[in-house]
Amino acid sequence: MMARKRVVLSILKIAAVCAALVLFFLLLAWGQEHWDAYTVRILNLCGIYIGITLGLNLCNGFTGQFSLGIAGFMAVGAYTTALLTMAPAIKQAVYFIEPLIYPLNSIQWGFLPSLLMAAIVSGIVGFLVGAPAIRFRGDYLAITTLGFAEIIRVLFTNIVPITNGALGLKGIPPHTNLVWSWGFALVCVAVMARLMRSGFGRALKAIRDDEIAAEAMGVNLFSHKCLAFVVSAMMAGVGGGLLGNLITTIDPNMFRFPLTFTVLMMAVLGGLGSITGTVISAALVTVAMEALRALEEPRVIFGLALPGIPGMRMVVFSVALMMVILFFPKGFMGDRELSLDRAKSLATRLRRANTSRQG
Amino acid sequence: MRLHRRLMTALLCLILVSLCGITAAQRETEIRIGVYEPMTGAMAAGGQMTYEGIQLAQEQRPTVLGLPVRVILVDNRSDKVESATAVTRLIQKDKVCAIIGSYGSALSMSGGPVAQAAKVPVMGCSPTNPLVTLGNDYYFRACFIDPFQGRVMAQFAYEKLGARTAAIIQDIAQDYAVGLANFFKQAFTEMTGNPKSIVAFTSYQTGDRDYTAQLTYVANAKPDVVFAPGYYADAAVLITQARSLGLKMPFLGGDTFEAPEFTQIGGKNVEGVYFSTHYSADAPVTPASEKFVALYKAKYKIAPNTFAALGYDCYNLVLDAIERAGSSNPVAIRDAMAKTRNFVGATGIITLDANGDATKSAVVLVVRDGEFKLVDVVHPR
Repeated sequence: MMARKRVVLSILKIAAVCAALVLFFLLLAWGQEHWDAYTVRILNLCGIYIGITLGLNLCNGFTGQFSLGIAGFMAVGAYTTALLTMAPAIKQAVYFIEPLIYPLNSIQWGFLPSLLMAAIVSGIVGFLVGAPAIRFRGDYLAITTLGFAEIIRVLFTNIVPITNGALGLKGIPPHTNLVWSWGFALVCVAVMARLMRSGFGRALKAIRDDEIAAEAMGVNLFSHKCLAFVVSAMMAGVGGGLLGNLITTIDPNMFRFPLTFTVLMMAVLGGLGSITGTVISAALVTVAMEALRALEEPRVIFGLALPGIPGMRMVVFSVALMMVILFFPKGFMGDRELSLDRAKSLATRLRRANTSRQG
Repeated sequence: MRLHRRLMTALLCLILVSLCGITAAQRETEIRIGVYEPMTGAMAAGGQMTYEGIQLAQEQRPTVLGLPVRVILVDNRSDKVESATAVTRLIQKDKVCAIIGSYGSALSMSGGPVAQAAKVPVMGCSPTNPLVTLGNDYYFRACFIDPFQGRVMAQFAYEKLGARTAAIIQDIAQDYAVGLANFFKQAFTEMTGNPKSIVAFTSYQTGDRDYTAQLTYVANAKPDVVFAPGYYADAAVLITQARSLGLKMPFLGGDTFEAPEFTQIGGKNVEGVYFSTHYSADAPVTPASEKFVALYKAKYKIAPNTFAALGYDCYNLVLDAIERAGSSNPVAIRDAMAKTRNFVGATGIITLDANGDATKSAVVLVVRDGEFKLVDVVHPR
């Protein structure tokens, strides 16, 4: 009887999740057409940054390998997707200094295969960078990966027949919409959530907490770290591809290290090692950057006319960031998660505390 | 814990109060023009100079079609992603009827498709990359483009300096420098009729500090002139090192050399460097330039620069189009803008071609006694 009840419950749970997902995507598809372009653009950026930040968090937060190479992998993904989705006629017009090399100049793929290809290519690059780099620990790893990201950018500046160099690419088809960007975010959340409940995920956390102890327990350090690094690079690559097809133009200078720091800031704010924290902070930071623009407009407060000061929102943003770091040194969520079960147990605890106080 | 709460509440209140400030929402009683420029970040200097010119122009001409003009500035932080968002914001939230911007071709290229999709015309101030207006019938610009600028310098080197061989040192990380180097090479080989007239072609990266390798290579090729397109900070260091290595031939560059920092960094070493630019305060090309120079000097107490002049022209070009369109309908303004002919601007007489690019004359300046002096005016053919 109990067993049957449990089966029915779990089927119901799955059905509810599926229904919620379908509803969510229907809402997004409807919103793409009916919300204004400004809202849609910010929501798109939210989705993309959630995915990329989760990727970074897998490597930096869950495995404890502090990597700063995310901008490089985003560049690889962005260029792969752009080169595969651009129409041959546009490629011919854009490459006006040196023509694009043969197989690339005549092909045009759909968006999904291009994104998958971006994942594969950035995964391979992630392995090539990661395999030697993860032998380092701590600061040395950070410096090495930062260096590799810069190498990727400099390479892209110099291989003109493939990347068009500093001139960048223009006219990338605007495939990215809410369904794609939030689909990407959800896939990343699902991958992370499943991964963290598996033995593999626990091994990663063990490596983060104590490498030597983990190794003594039989965890293969190299393969675990390497795989975390590669999956993280793949997420960044797909995110980069989505970003390129959102703004329809890319150039190597877009992928300098400030981009890495933006993503890193999102991960740190949310809590290194928390999936829900990452989702919340990536969305919050993206929205706040736009919402705080209001601070830069000239305005009248209590009859006092103030001129607009460009850069004001960055000042406020930095102050807010410092406050968070001061009062929540581990980010909003630390390494905890927000879930229905947790909310329920919190509610129960509160209720108990109340009754005991009354009693 | 209590301190913590109080501080957080104070911060939240501060943000809320500033967000609640009244933004004038007069919809039909004013003409709104958006400006997206890099006011912060790596390209902030260029964006600020351009915006000064726009502000000056607005003070001079605050109304059009009998309605006051409101200029709405959004900062794109010298960032491509932010640039696209900034243009979306101007169109969706501020409902502007035309847009001006942006310094930096890369930033203009990401803002362009957004404006095109929403059918709002954009007048670019100084994005010289040919790709900016390519395939975008809603993007125009008040400046000439790199192919023309490259040709101007090649012509100047060939005709006025009598050069028959040239070397090129480009900043490979800047689209602007790469484009210019390429078009200089094309024009120069065409003029000399000698495919080997470019005797050395080499590159560096923005921010490099040691150019000895490139300069030694160039010195061995013994060119008549060296064309070194790049930003003023790098170029000034490069030329200083060239002089200390004993390279005595003339150095040439593009409009980015026109910054006080160029002579401050280079000092005596950059004396005699030639570069092309959009206009010169010394030689006002039109009555409008004389007026602009006087106004600018009165307001900012210094001689105006190219980017302020281009910003000034952009604003007037947009107002001119609105006047001819007779309405604030963006599509009507776009059509009027495309028909701009012989517009008398501060930077010259502007006619927009089929691509939306300005065809106008360029000037060649030389550094003499730490100042930029006019040596030549080159007209488009």
